[in-house]
Amino acid sequence: MSLRLTKIDELTLPDHYRLDITDECYFIGEYTARAGFDYSATNDLIQNLKKPMDRKDRPEWKYKAWAIEQAAKQMRKALPSEVLEYATFIPVPPSRIKTDDLYDDRVVQILQKLGDGVDVREAVTQTEDYDASHGMEVRLGPDELYQLYEIETELLEPTPMSLVVVDDVLTTGAHFKAMKRILNVAFPDVPVVGVFVARRVPEYP
Amino acid sequence: MATSPSTTIPAISPVLELGAYEVLWAKPNASFTSLAAMFRENPDKLPSDFVDHAWAMTMADTVRGMLKASGVEHFGVRIYRAGEYPSKLRDAEAPVELLYYRGWWDLVEAPSVAVVGTRNPSPEGIERAAAIARFLVKDKYTVVSGLAAGIDSSAHKSAIEAGGKTIAVIGTPINKVYPRENEALQNFIANNFLVISQVPVYRYENQDYRKNRFFFPQRNITMSALTEATVIVEAGETSGTLTQARAAIHQGRKLFILDNCFTNPALTWPQRFEELGAIRVTKYDDIRNNLSKPHVPETHEDR
Repeated sequence: MSLRLTKIDELTLPDHYRLDITDECYFIGEYTARAGFDYSATNDLIQNLKKPMDRKDRPEWKYKAWAIEQAAKQMRKALPSEVLEYATFIPVPPSRIKTDDLYDDRVVQILQKLGDGVDVREAVTQTEDYDASHGMEVRLGPDELYQLYEIETELLEPTPMSLVVVDDVLTTGAHFKAMKRILNVAFPDVPVVGVFVARRVPEYP
Repeated sequence: MATSPSTTIPAISPVLELGAYEVLWAKPNASFTSLAAMFRENPDKLPSDFVDHAWAMTMADTVRGMLKASGVEHFGVRIYRAGEYPSKLRDAEAPVELLYYRGWWDLVEAPSVAVVGTRNPSPEGIERAAAIARFLVKDKYTVVSGLAAGIDSSAHKSAIEAGGKTIAVIGTPINKVYPRENEALQNFIANNFLVISQVPVYRYENQDYRKNRFFFPQRNITMSALTEATVIVEAGETSGTLTQARAAIHQGRKLFILDNCFTNPALTWPQRFEELGAIRVTKYDDIRNNLSKPHVPETHEDR
């Protein structure tokens, strides 16, 4: 049985409030992690994928490599061959810039494992870190992220046929929105869709 | 430019499949058996491949409106071939293509055992169900039951009181409660754990209510498929619980029958199922020793 992608539609759209119905986003699994409920394969996959870079020297590190491999395998299976062949894949840049110790290029690694001939371009980069120094993630909106993003259009020559923005987890949709905006400005006529390893299901009170 | 390669991404739309599934069920002769046969013959098809999409979307709106009107704000669906659909469900004779749930879906992958039985148990039966649920919780199993009166309710409540986890696989649609007095319990399980229903919302509301009782034994088949084993605490000769006993044997799940069922001279089914491989239980260890060690999630991370 091959797993198919699921589309963000009106049933799941409220879980990702930065998105609207015109956004085309797809995911494979659902991430529902919370304390004490670590049973699902997707939760396990995502938690290992997100393992911070400062754990490089610990035995658990091997699980991160495993998770990257798994995520690539699932994505390769879920995407049709025409998309793999003709689309251009753009990773969402990580929260830390390349020179930072905690810079984590897991999404690039996933994309590189999609197979030979898959067009992956790190055309959007981030000009500065936005993680606070105490490990608390700052939640930036699409406008703020857009300000931090920089596009190297020369990396996207000739004009791509279609753009696929890829990230590991879809949460509010802010990153996708910022990516879509910067890509739309550069290539107004090229469709932009998002593909995610998982979407995060929020905890409702 | 008509011949550029297609870069559209084929994907499952949950709202469309929900609507299509409800439309398929709205046909008078639809049943779990007939739908399962249809999908078996068309292994790559989804509900939406059989239904006009506009019609399906209208139906989806109707059903979502019905759920909302009965106070169900948050729910999800699981669709065969989309992520998070549990492959163990395919062991059922007529596996469901789509189901509804409220709560924490990831629990479905936890090691679990079903504890089921009659709606009219003896006082000893109530206590036995509670004791088994407590033992299972202690052994890190999630206790699964059907939220019916009697044995089911006792198993759910005892698991919760013991600080464990529980899943309810109900025989009504996700927005209905039966019996009425279990409303608070159902909501509690939905908010803290997981409630699953395979019952079509529209069909249930729009057919002769007397026909809806047939949905109850159907959910026992799904419950068996979701769990590693079923424990029958107490059940009469014609009890719907026996549907689950048959399903467990058919699906290769362990089936445990408490000794008191065997010693009841009015019952013939315990012997029948013992001959088919069921295990007679005189003490909890008879259950424990026949279960796989509960899988404690590997610590991939220092949490």
